Amino acid sequence: MTGFILRRLAQLIPVLLIASFAIWAMIFAVPGGPVGMMVGENATPEEIAAATRKLGLDRPIPVQYFNWLTHAVTGDFGQSLHSRDPVTKLIGERLPATLQLALVSILVALVIGIPVAITGAVKEGSWVDRLLNGWNALALGVPTFWLGILLILLFSVELRWLPSASRYVPLWEDPNQALRSLILPGLTLGLYVSGILARFLKASLVSEARADYVRTARAKGVSERQIVGHHIMQNALLPFITIVGLMVANFIGGAVVTEAVFTYPGLGRLLIQAISTRDYPLIQGCIVVILVIYMAISLIVDILYAVIDPRIEYR
Amino acid sequence: MTPLLNVRDLACRYRVTGKRGETHWLHAVDGVNFTLDAGRTLGVVGESGCGKSTTAKLVLGLQPASRGRITFAGEPVSATRDSHWRAMRRRMQMVHQDPLAALDRRLTVGEQVIEPLIIHGLKGGPQTPRERALALFDAVGLRAAMFERYPHELSGGQRQRVVLARALVLDPELVVCDEPISALDVSVAAQVINLLQDLQGRFGMAYLFISHDLKVVRQIADEVAVMYLGRIVEQGAPDDLFHTPAHPYTEALVSAIPTVGQRDRKRIVLAGDPPNPVDRPAGCAFHPRCPRATAICRSEVPPLRPVAEGRLAACHLVPAVSARSAAA
Amino acid sequence: MLHPVPGSTGAAPPLLSLEDFTVAFAQGAGRTRVVHGIDLTLQRGEALGIVGESGCGKSVTWLAALRLLGKRAVTTGRVLLNGRDLSGFSERELADVRGGRIGLIFQDPTSCLNPILRIGTQIGEALRLHRGLTGKAAEREALRLLDRVGIADAPRRLRQHAHELSGGMNQRVMIAIALAGEPDVLVADEPTTALDATIQAQILDLIRDIRRDTGMGLVLISHDLGVIADLCDRVAVMYAGRVVETAATQDLLGSPRHPYTRGLLAALPSLEGPRVRLTPVGGTVPSPDAMPPGCAFAPRCAYAEAHCGNGIPVLQPAGTGHLSACRRLDALMGEWQRQAAREAGRHDPVVQDLDWPNRDRQRELSA
Ligand SMILES: Nc1ncnc2c1ncn2[C@@H]1O[C@H](COP(=O)(O)OP(=O)(O)O)[C@@H](O)[C@H]1O
Ligand code: SF4
Ligand code: SF4
Ligand SMILES: [Mg+2]
Repeated sequence: MTGFILRRLAQLIPVLLIASFAIWAMIFAVPGGPVGMMVGENATPEEIAAATRKLGLDRPIPVQYFNWLTHAVTGDFGQSLHSRDPVTKLIGERLPATLQLALVSILVALVIGIPVAITGAVKEGSWVDRLLNGWNALALGVPTFWLGILLILLFSVELRWLPSASRYVPLWEDPNQALRSLILPGLTLGLYVSGILARFLKASLVSEARADYVRTARAKGVSERQIVGHHIMQNALLPFITIVGLMVANFIGGAVVTEAVFTYPGLGRLLIQAISTRDYPLIQGCIVVILVIYMAISLIVDILYAVIDPRIEYR
Repeated sequence: MTPLLNVRDLACRYRVTGKRGETHWLHAVDGVNFTLDAGRTLGVVGESGCGKSTTAKLVLGLQPASRGRITFAGEPVSATRDSHWRAMRRRMQMVHQDPLAALDRRLTVGEQVIEPLIIHGLKGGPQTPRERALALFDAVGLRAAMFERYPHELSGGQRQRVVLARALVLDPELVVCDEPISALDVSVAAQVINLLQDLQGRFGMAYLFISHDLKVVRQIADEVAVMYLGRIVEQGAPDDLFHTPAHPYTEALVSAIPTVGQRDRKRIVLAGDPPNPVDRPAGCAFHPRCPRATAICRSEVPPLRPVAEGRLAACHLVPAVSARSAAA
Repeated sequence: MLHPVPGSTGAAPPLLSLEDFTVAFAQGAGRTRVVHGIDLTLQRGEALGIVGESGCGKSVTWLAALRLLGKRAVTTGRVLLNGRDLSGFSERELADVRGGRIGLIFQDPTSCLNPILRIGTQIGEALRLHRGLTGKAAEREALRLLDRVGIADAPRRLRQHAHELSGGMNQRVMIAIALAGEPDVLVADEPTTALDATIQAQILDLIRDIRRDTGMGLVLISHDLGVIADLCDRVAVMYAGRVVETAATQDLLGSPRHPYTRGLLAALPSLEGPRVRLTPVGGTVPSPDAMPPGCAFAPRCAYAEAHCGNGIPVLQPAGTGHLSACRRLDALMGEWQRQAAREAGRHDPVVQDLDWPNRDRQRELSA
């Protein structure tokens, strides 16, 4: 098992190297390059030369990349061009908020999606199934910003139950307050993803239900409830894990609209701000962090898969 | 007279990865010899995994051998896909178990029978490709109306007829049939068996006929080879071989076949599964399951040698041909 | 439409019987009937073979009788187990019958086992449901069952998964699961079709052995008459959703009284006797939505006459305990008897010795 994990980690290294090179090289795509970014358009040749030296741009390209990489590995992505704060600090403030929102959103998605999928699969072809299919289509079809605004209007403006702008409150400091500010963005994101999860899980439940081993279970007198819960569900969960992992990974950098609607201080919005101000060190930092989380999740999914499915050998 | 097909010491191994990532060699075919004359049928029987299908692929040059030599009509068969290979492939065709998988769902069956003619650029001759394909449709017992149908619109038996027509359209000298009727129902299987015999009588090609079904092989073959774990363990004329098997494996195989006729026949039931070809038992590979195994069987490989008129067997207990009583 | 049960004295009710049983599948707005009213009985401890080409309704009949086909399958008629009609049972009552009174095994044993559960768990499930065994007691019993079905190294096997076992071993596991509920009948649907010859022989032997020990009844569904002949006391031949002939095994194989049965036998190659050209039954089984009128076999029947298309032939006596559903039964029985007398001593009475293709003659010439 340990060997399996180590091998999987080793396989990630080339991917990370290639990606990091692309991210680093991005800075040369800016008009005027990194120097132009630093000194502005009306700089004198002396200023440019000084900045070039300061940034180490007079050194050979591989050296420059290597310097950047060694810093990045220790978590140093330089300073934000905009606020002059260390990139690491800016990301460090946002990351917990993002992870917290991702967690709540995926829980919402699972709590809604799984029962919808199971009910739909068990009652396949009935009016209940059609109703749930409609519900899924709705969850997928309603634009997130629209749903977010609707929820704010209802729960914050009309009913005044929940705050309209969400702050980041760490769950472990004040769970009650944290949940109050997480519930609306969490619902907004979770509802959408519940549609994806429900569709996928239902499809794999329905196809597993046709498998021969299900007939065997029935033939030995297992009740319908146990067949679904014990036999079909466990087999259908295998592919489902992959999708759930993918969705969680998506929340990390891709929850921009929801974060904007609720003015939630997440990583997605930080990245968008960085892009709009052309804050390249910050962009690089955000992308690297998102990428690493993505890979970590896919590694966890692989490990889970290997643990659950006895047919997979730890190779 | 040189045989149409001559196979000498043919072997093929696959690299497989073990549980802990280590490499093993799986000896799918391990030193097989046989010859097949023009217009004759050699049946190959054996249980799944004994190397029947690998032998078929090697003979057709669809996959390289790791050892040995195959000659077809005096020329060596190789798996290098050059013009020589293509020219040779025209003269040897293959028929599989699953006709639906062998046919293209998007083309009419007629187009698929014409296709080999076009691929091999055969224009000469008195017939147009279409006429030739229609003549073969007739030969395999399909109505001309079927020409425009798609594979899924035909029954299993009809599809297998289409596959036969396509195999025969290039007028091959050898047709390798790998379990061609295993997926068919009793009555349809009988139709296809008869058809195979009639076509051979008419066009004179040779068959390498692979099947796990002894009864079907007995029905169709002039000579039978019994394979176990990648080697031929017994070979001979079908009736002799099935009625008085010399090798203990053949004997068990024959006695395992449930027949309609004899109910309370004594049956030899072998213990266990055939071993994994990855760790092939030393000596006679059959010894762990053989009811007659003795000490020598565990250490020495019995060679395939003549044991009676027209009969070969690889077993220490069966005396070589000099002992006249062997076939009794 | 009840027929006298062959060989029964009429005292004890049969263990299992189907009465005018039909199965239809919902198809769009309508329904397609695939089993058209069959009557079958199984006495306690008896082995009944069901034979016929694929698509004749062999599997569907027994799966539908136990409501294992889902809601799309609609049945009518009665399924009597010890005289009680299963069609009236609730899902819960029926679950006790499945695996408890009637065990089932199927064709492809490896895909019939749950890939991610251990063998032990899958046997344990049946032990808990039907015998109330859990924990150590269940494990002991599971070990005994594996031993009974001839699996060596049982403690290790209990912890393994289906993909780690061979097909033959998985079929033994399936049998162990079926035996866990100590059923009165085993319904085996093509249990050896996916297995190799030597493994098939092992499994047939095992089933025979278990029946000798426990007196368990057997319904053996197979397309292979050889397999049926090996294990069964009585055979029912199905064609296009109907039973067309039934008799004691020896009787049916020795003197078949329906053109379809005769056709099946003549189409079979054999290992014994002289090598003769096969006599195939032409054509194929009709699809359920394009059934010919009258006798469904008529389009393929060598003996068909115009009146065969008028009305469906019913099973009628054709000897002791022998029933056949053919409109021309009387005429054909005479014909077959004369033919048998003519050929007596020469060949197997069923197989007609046709001219072997001329290639043998060619060979003689070239030799
Ligand atoms: N789920 C299903 N839906 C519709 N038709 C079916 C279904 N299962 C089987 N059938 C049809 O029922 C008939 C009988 O099938 P089956 O009992 O499997 O035949 P056998 O076991 O004799 O091969 C066939 O025509 C088959 O196509
Ligand atoms: S050589 Fe020995 S083990 Fe092999 S078949 Fe003959 S008797 Fe059996
Ligand atoms: S009723 Fe007629 S068609 Fe049907 S089996 Fe008898 S003879 Fe043949
Ligand atoms: Mg079936």
